[in-house]
Amino acid sequence: MAQVTKTGELGIVTTKLDEAMKWGRSNSLWPLTFGLACCAIEMMAVQASHADVSRFGSEIFRASPRQADLMIVAGTVTKKMAPRVRRLYDEMPYPKYVIAMGACVIQGGPYARGYSVVLGVDRVIPVDVYVPGCPPTPEALQFGLITLQKKIRGETNR
Amino acid sequence: MEDTEDKQKTFMGKEYTLGKDGRKIIFLTKDEFLPFMKRLKESGFSHLSLITGVDRRDYIEVVYHLHSISTNEIVVIKVKTKDSRVPSVTSLWSSADWDEREQYDMMGIIFEGHPNLKRILLPEGWIGHPLRKNYDMDTPQYVNMDEDGEDYVTFDSGDGW
Repeated sequence: MAQVTKTGELGIVTTKLDEAMKWGRSNSLWPLTFGLACCAIEMMAVQASHADVSRFGSEIFRASPRQADLMIVAGTVTKKMAPRVRRLYDEMPYPKYVIAMGACVIQGGPYARGYSVVLGVDRVIPVDVYVPGCPPTPEALQFGLITLQKKIRGETNR
Repeated sequence: MEDTEDKQKTFMGKEYTLGKDGRKIIFLTKDEFLPFMKRLKESGFSHLSLITGVDRRDYIEVVYHLHSISTNEIVVIKVKTKDSRVPSVTSLWSSADWDEREQYDMMGIIFEGHPNLKRILLPEGWIGHPLRKNYDMDTPQYVNMDEDGEDYVTFDSGDGW
């Protein structure tokens, strides 16, 4: 029983520093308080009691980009808003992650043939996880968050 | 509008037709527009609900919905303009300020006498008015921000978004 002697009865787990960092980062993803359109309502539902994203360590929506790790782009990114989105992203400290939430953010959605909407926020900032839907349900966004956590820990999503 | 011609009545000395929802629609020329709006304001139409524009290709129709809170009555005022200029009603209803700026932004209607007639939604440098029938949808415009935080508009997709 080599494992028992290693962890011991003191509750000590040995791991690599790298793994510990990943574990810590993935379980304290603090999103930026930032909503652009109707998807933001679903994002608020994720933070509220029924879905309760705080179970995954993301309960604190920071009001400043300088204290946030995660940007959930929730809602249509208009061309006028795109430079502001870029600026907010640039103000976030590394390591930083982006979830693109909803059809508008992924490729323009119903406004794809319009004049005023950016056809995908990945033209503005690099995106880690895409959550499709119009709007995505809170459960879908939670799944996106868990997918991002797995991505940070280097796990495959099966 | 042909079928409502026979039941024409007058409202405050102007002939009106009834819309599908039962609202009085009054067509005004540009000359009689501002004095009549003033009379409406004085007779209790204290709330200007909305201002919209309709591009009829040959001319532009500016539509005003006025609501009287005391009698719960809504009248619709329509003004035709060929040179896309109409007098501003900001002197009567101050809520007309942003409505008129929006119509200027989207339809290119110039409201004469408006205190601050500039774009409200699109960036200042945007070319054209998107809700006009002759707006060029085939050449996309992109927006970027300069170092001072001011927006600028470009046709180069590599420079903006």
